[in-house]
Amino acid sequence: MSSEYAVEIVNLTKVFGKFKAVNNLSLKIRKGEIFGLLGPNGAGKTTTIRMVLGLIKPTKGYVRVFGIPVEKERKKVLKITGYMPQRFSLYEDLTVEENLMLYALLYGYNGREAKERVKELLEELLLKEFKDRLAGNLSGGMKQRLALAVALVHRPKLVIVDEPTAGVDPPLRRYFWKYFKELNKRGVTIIVTTHYMDEAENCDRLALIFRGRKIAEGTPLEIKRLAFGGDIVEILLETPSPPKLEGIGGVKKILESERYNRTITLRVLVDDASSRLISIVKRLESNGVRVIRASQVYIGLEDAFIKLVEGQAK
Amino acid sequence: MILTALIYKDIKQLLRDPKTLVMVLLMPVIVLVMFVAGYGGPGGSIPISVANLDGGSISWQLISELKRASAMGLGSFEIVKTAYTFEEAYESVRKGEVYAAIIIPKGFTEEVFLGEETQVGIILDTSYADISEGVYRLLVLTMQGFQQKVTEKYGGFTFNIYRVTIYGPEVSKIDAFLGVVMSVLLHLVPMSLIAVSISRERERRTFEQLIMTPISSYDIIMGKLLAYMIVTMADTFLTLGLAVYVFKVRVVGSFLDLTIVSFLILICSLSMGLLISVLSKNQLQAYQMAIFAFIPSMLFSGFLVPAELLSPKVKIVSKLLPLYYFLKTFRNIQIRGWTLYDNLFDILMLIGETIVFLLTAIKLLKLRVE
Repeated sequence: MSSEYAVEIVNLTKVFGKFKAVNNLSLKIRKGEIFGLLGPNGAGKTTTIRMVLGLIKPTKGYVRVFGIPVEKERKKVLKITGYMPQRFSLYEDLTVEENLMLYALLYGYNGREAKERVKELLEELLLKEFKDRLAGNLSGGMKQRLALAVALVHRPKLVIVDEPTAGVDPPLRRYFWKYFKELNKRGVTIIVTTHYMDEAENCDRLALIFRGRKIAEGTPLEIKRLAFGGDIVEILLETPSPPKLEGIGGVKKILESERYNRTITLRVLVDDASSRLISIVKRLESNGVRVIRASQVYIGLEDAFIKLVEGQAK
Repeated sequence: MILTALIYKDIKQLLRDPKTLVMVLLMPVIVLVMFVAGYGGPGGSIPISVANLDGGSISWQLISELKRASAMGLGSFEIVKTAYTFEEAYESVRKGEVYAAIIIPKGFTEEVFLGEETQVGIILDTSYADISEGVYRLLVLTMQGFQQKVTEKYGGFTFNIYRVTIYGPEVSKIDAFLGVVMSVLLHLVPMSLIAVSISRERERRTFEQLIMTPISSYDIIMGKLLAYMIVTMADTFLTLGLAVYVFKVRVVGSFLDLTIVSFLILICSLSMGLLISVLSKNQLQAYQMAIFAFIPSMLFSGFLVPAELLSPKVKIVSKLLPLYYFLKTFRNIQIRGWTLYDNLFDILMLIGETIVFLLTAIKLLKLRVE
């Protein structure tokens, strides 16, 4: 039953009425990675996740978690999987501690083990001083921490968090990501959905989802390169006439050229900025062009995403 | 403009939940149809027995007169049993086979011919005041008509009717009403209480997290059943105790038996409520369905009118209702002083229905959020 993948999603499709929420999606999530499902609201991320957890039945396709088929052996999957839903789903009329105890017992701990585990989690997620407060009276951030604690109660190998940072203030967002990395170090595979592109940079690998389809998959860097066809380098030159760049190793295309008095700013597409930048500068200087500044342009995932979506629209 | 916007919005919202809307709008129609079906047509006839200890010609004339009277729709009773001794007739009433027995005395024919005084007896089961009074009136009326006819033919005689009551002398209103009060308390209240329990989890989304744990639908259904049972059980004992020990409602049978049958209907009501809960999408729908489910019980289970007086077609419906079996058993214990064993069939039906409700609920509860 072992598998090299934590999650295998194969040709997954979900149709609600006439609406295809998820359209023939296939993904392989490796063990031990932080995998991001990225996409705008309504792209089908939550639906995908719910199918991974067996909370809804796929119209087509199947999912395996650590090699276990979800449809057939859901209980086995649940024992090794933790889930934090997008919206708060715990009992508002129970206290923080009571909620945690309930879930510890539901996952099969005996009374003493459950108490110990709850104590651990209360400390780890900084909930100790609020343990007697009703969950309904918690602030948004505390609710999120409690939800995460519940997801982790049975020490799952796979944790799936759906929009953990939606509507959460920046310090807590940072805290969450720090915590995810720490969990990940302990060997936990994490799947996180988000529509915050900047956050997605924290993931080892990503899949971009748009209208139920996967439009890209890979590391953040790979996705950016995929979107633009390479890295972008900005070079500021002092020269009377535009220099020839074509033919220099790694240069694919000059994207922009802007003249201001005696300086020219070039935006150049190269296959790999980190290895090519120095050689490009050297070639220019050997041709008698003075290079004032040369650097790689930072591309946000947002830019990459917009570019990829535009490509899809065509 | 403000008002129209609000009206428009609310009507739209109502139309978006067709299940609830249909239930609300159809409820009066269905209640009316059920009411007419149950009470509109010819009612069911009340079974009686006759013990002809005489065997002479006049006694047979009386029996055929009784038969004719019921056939002509004069009365709604039917001779279903013939007894051969007073004791046998008495037993048939006591066992609940019939509601009344007519005793034609030995020497009846002779006494009529001789114009002497004769004593015809009516043994009455007074545990259901409505039935016993009704059937008594009808029997007396029929026999008085018979007396007139016979007098014309054979000359006058004195016709005395004496009355023997079982489970009497009479049942007071409060005694008769205890079963009804317990029905509301043990059927409608727990049923509607638990009916919203699962839909509430769905509405508040706690269901989504709950079914992420390795539990089964059996766990959820049984967990809810036992939790609500523990909470509502106290209420049952309190009400029964209050009625019997403080308000001195008459209980002929054993208090323990009464408690046990109350407990059985409580579990049955909770199971029925759970099934409703599994079937409904939101809390409003669940409430509506619970009330909806209570209507046939109210009309046909003997809650308002003894089920025996209903038309025969509707009696089939009665026999599907858990409350019918409960009320029957409860009254038999409370007023007639029967034991649980005397009501074995009804109790088995009650338990059987409970099991069916529970198994269906477990089967239909899907651990999904669709």
